[in-house]
Amino acid sequence: MVSMNAVLLISFLLWMVGVAGVLIRRNALVILMCVELMLNAANLNLIAFARLSGTVHGQAFALLVMGFAAAEVAVGLALVVALYRKKGNIQVDEINLLKG
Amino acid sequence: MEQLLNNIGQNMFVLFGLLAVGGAGILIFSKSAVHSVIGFLFSMICVAGCFLSLQAEFLGVAQLLVYAGGIVVLFLFVVMLVELTKYQEKGIFQTQTKFAIPLVGLGLLVFAAIFRGTLFGSSAPEALTLQQGLVGATENLGNAQAVSRGLFANFLLPFEILSVILLVALVGAIVLAKSERV
Repeated sequence: MVSMNAVLLISFLLWMVGVAGVLIRRNALVILMCVELMLNAANLNLIAFARLSGTVHGQAFALLVMGFAAAEVAVGLALVVALYRKKGNIQVDEINLLKG
Repeated sequence: MEQLLNNIGQNMFVLFGLLAVGGAGILIFSKSAVHSVIGFLFSMICVAGCFLSLQAEFLGVAQLLVYAGGIVVLFLFVVMLVELTKYQEKGIFQTQTKFAIPLVGLGLLVFAAIFRGTLFGSSAPEALTLQQGLVGATENLGNAQAVSRGLFANFLLPFEILSVILLVALVGAIVLAKSERV
């Protein structure tokens, strides 16, 4: 028996660390990893509420989210590699191609 | 000790959850990208432990396979590929940090207030506890079978759409990473 409060608090902490990483760090790789962290926090909530309601819908949806996260990482890392070819580093501060 | 063992599911969940948050902290605050990836790996393994202690066995194993097996390796490959040492980061925190830290602190405070009001306050409802069994999962029907029934009975269209998204991501990643001269 896991109490719901513990699940909500842990997943909130995980999500907040992810948000802090996206806002604070300027390395594109670290930002991608923090997005993954936030998706995992959401997955934790989905599974917990599936367990709370006694149905499997939340777990099935968490599986879909996992596949989506894999696709997102593939495209994101390809973007990082393309960025490195263009600029020579992957600091998001330095991306100013659209600046007028 | 007996009390600790009586509530083993809850304690395991909290232990794995706190370790996951710790790994996420390593991910954010370490200067070297390889250390960040190791922190990410640790965090993902601990999240898989959380899934297991929530009795979602199939998802826990899938989490281990997809994240610890696939995504972390992908990240490590890119870290080796982009040669981060050539560009010395001035510090891990950059120009936006002085706006970002108060923003994060504000968010933490707001959510802490909400949690205090809803979950732990005086007007809080009685503590929710997770149900023991799963509706689809009977004695002779395991967790993976129950999840697959839910997936293919209720989420068939999203499942097919996800397969198309994966195909598009595959083609898109190849096109983006292809060198322009070829």
